[in-house]
Amino acid sequence: MYREKIEKILPSVQKPARYIGGEHGSVVKDKNKVSVRFAFCFPDTYDVGMSHLGMKILYGLKNSVDDYWCERVFQPEPDYEQKMREEGILLYGLESLEPIKDFDFIGFTLQYELSYTNVLNMLDLAGVPLHARDRKDLSPIVVAGGPCVCNPEPLADFFDIFILGEGEKVNLELMELYKTMKEKGAGKEEFLLNAAKIEGVYVPGFYDFEYNCDGTVKSCTPNRNGVPERVRKRVIEDLDSVYYPDDFVVPFTKIVHDRAVVEVLRGCIRGCRFCQAGFIYRPFREKSVDTIKRNTKDLCKSTGYEEVSLSSLSTSDHTRVNELLAELVDYTKDEQISLSLPSLRVDNFSEEVLNKISTVRKSGLTFAPEAGTQRLRNVINKNVSEEEIMRSCKIAFEGGYTSVKLYFMLGLPTETMEDIEGMADTAHKIIDLFYSIPKEKRGKGSVSVSISCATFVPKPFTPFEFEPQATRQEVTEKQEHLISCLKTRKIKASWHDYNVSLLEAALARGDRRLGAVIEKAWRRGCKMDSWDEYFKPDIWWKTFEDLNIDPEFYACRKRDYSEVFAWDHLDYMVSKSFFIRENKLAHEAKTTPNCKEKCSGCGVKKECGGVYCGGK
Amino acid sequence: MEENRFDRRITFSKSGRAVYISHLDLMRTMQRAFKRAGLPIWYTQGFNPHAYIMFPLALSLGISSNVEIMDASLTEDIPCDEVTKMLNSALPTGLKIIKTAIPVKKHTAIKKAEYEIILNAGESDFNEFISREKIEIKKKTKKSYEKLIDIKPDIEVLGLRCTGGELFISVRLPAGCGLNINPSVLIEAFSEFTGEIYTAKVSRTRILDQNGEEYC
Ligand code: SF4
Repeated sequence: MYREKIEKILPSVQKPARYIGGEHGSVVKDKNKVSVRFAFCFPDTYDVGMSHLGMKILYGLKNSVDDYWCERVFQPEPDYEQKMREEGILLYGLESLEPIKDFDFIGFTLQYELSYTNVLNMLDLAGVPLHARDRKDLSPIVVAGGPCVCNPEPLADFFDIFILGEGEKVNLELMELYKTMKEKGAGKEEFLLNAAKIEGVYVPGFYDFEYNCDGTVKSCTPNRNGVPERVRKRVIEDLDSVYYPDDFVVPFTKIVHDRAVVEVLRGCIRGCRFCQAGFIYRPFREKSVDTIKRNTKDLCKSTGYEEVSLSSLSTSDHTRVNELLAELVDYTKDEQISLSLPSLRVDNFSEEVLNKISTVRKSGLTFAPEAGTQRLRNVINKNVSEEEIMRSCKIAFEGGYTSVKLYFMLGLPTETMEDIEGMADTAHKIIDLFYSIPKEKRGKGSVSVSISCATFVPKPFTPFEFEPQATRQEVTEKQEHLISCLKTRKIKASWHDYNVSLLEAALARGDRRLGAVIEKAWRRGCKMDSWDEYFKPDIWWKTFEDLNIDPEFYACRKRDYSEVFAWDHLDYMVSKSFFIRENKLAHEAKTTPNCKEKCSGCGVKKECGGVYCGGK
Repeated sequence: MEENRFDRRITFSKSGRAVYISHLDLMRTMQRAFKRAGLPIWYTQGFNPHAYIMFPLALSLGISSNVEIMDASLTEDIPCDEVTKMLNSALPTGLKIIKTAIPVKKHTAIKKAEYEIILNAGESDFNEFISREKIEIKKKTKKSYEKLIDIKPDIEVLGLRCTGGELFISVRLPAGCGLNINPSVLIEAFSEFTGEIYTAKVSRTRILDQNGEEYC
């Protein structure tokens, strides 16, 4: 049996409890009593994937239907993968411990571009042909969802279906359709043709791309009758009635985020122009305080977790955040559970809110001004002023904090050296502020500020989708300039490898021609690219070169407003004309009010349930 | 004994998928199970309070057992049978409470443990191995060079039988905070002796005190 083969090698690998399932909350069903089996694959390790909320939601959702069985699958750590390959063990589901190649669906969540080689690696490890065209049978159907499917074209060759937008309803519809089609003995083509009629379902094989001589996209057109010209994402209108798990799989081993997580809202009112999540998850919708409280209690009770965290793009934008926090602080205190709030924003970081968190947990303080000057913050529409940062820091220093972390982006559109100097200025001012507070009133010891600089990566479905990424040389010059501006050891600056950002940028705005690059890079040994110790930029760039494809064409080229993009046939509701308008405003350093202040008519319809959508 | 502290000694089994839970992870797993079960765990006093749960004798990864001991303290005097029932409703597959009692002996009273080892080996090979004058194993010392020590005097073979090509070895080894010999050490030494690699199934069957009596 398969399980025996697995158990034979488990004792010889690191932390084997990650590869055998059996955790509290994992769902084991009788395979003879279910009609659709789904392998939910996270293309990264167990420790990373098990921390991911979307997976927990969809895992619980699918298993809540008696007839469906969803299992978890992760990219094994290299030591285990090697042993699996040596022993001929195919990638298996953690619940049944059976190979996923025999399942009905193999579904990936695409959270970041640097996991793409893991997708191919996992399909290969599963013994499933990589290319959709080489999988002729009805099963397994290989699908993907998650934020990266807003431009899935670099992976189009490998997938049968991409699921656009929020998955709670469309996943069940798709499985239901599959079940009916399987029962009546339909083939893959017939199933896909019917699936393509479901809103949110994109079948890449039903669309053909043409390219212009300059390498840009000419068109993307359906090659079958009855499939839509544009595929629209799915939105859940009402977060209070949609499925939310009342239990999680509780891992044995330590994972990145090992705690109960309650989603409080979806979407974001802000419209920061660099932020893809801020646009693709529109509109802003929230759960009621009662629902959040119920979710929190249910989860804490059934998991036994000693920590609960609230999840959202910006928790403080909840219309009743103070009431919410007050209630949750009371509950968690009584139950000896700690409450963590990862996404509170600086601009409404009130003393009241700060006091509430500090009764629960006091860790470092982080701000994300993203840009060094007010001018550039206006360009990116990041509504944070230096005064606000200083005010929050003052409250925090007086509350005992001594370390501050600042997140910036480097290489933003219109950025000059003056903006780089602005980063250093902000850090110096924070240091001065600390020492301006009398000793007995501030936290003990010395103060430290760390500046973390990410290279700006232009993403599809943002007002910056037209913008070039800064070149390697520009980035290096700016980094050096920043270092030269730092006058004290109390400030530390760090940044990511430019290679990572360039690859991410090329893949993010890439098209179908990149499929060959990803495949070849993987065949040459690239995988786990998001891990510094495994990332092999040399192989990537050599592969691009060998295939005569220029990553900078995708990453560092200024694009016209009239250019056809590889993702134009995908409808995330926010219109391209809105992005063009926003892009122009950015270049004039003019801001746009957030949804709460004033609806800007981005294209999202009122029917989608957005709290502030004007119904235009 | 502090006020509002009620000690329980819990005997549990660890088998199936649960044998791969490491010692450290087992601690967290049990803590959460107490919380799920609604059992009020007693927290240690002092600077860094933590839930009082402890395992007097660690079990190596991959070994199954029906005799594992966990000590835990509660803030309420919940009857032993009730504790067993409540915990069992909250444990993941492969972990099962067998009984709960009030602790009698100190942790230091643990001196020996018995194991059953199932190996794909021949009886005569093992007999030859075990009847040698010395059975030496390499032991890393604190100064990090290896030292040879003879474990022969510490091994008590209680039974040996061969069925269906598998060798069943029943053995008693030193355990506890003094000398502790893991059955894997014995298997490794045997493997070195014959030059073969074995896949062994090991289970712990008893935990004993210095008089050879059941630890309780
Ligand atoms: S329609 Fe208006 S309120 Fe709704 S998301 Fe777009 S800009 Fe915001």
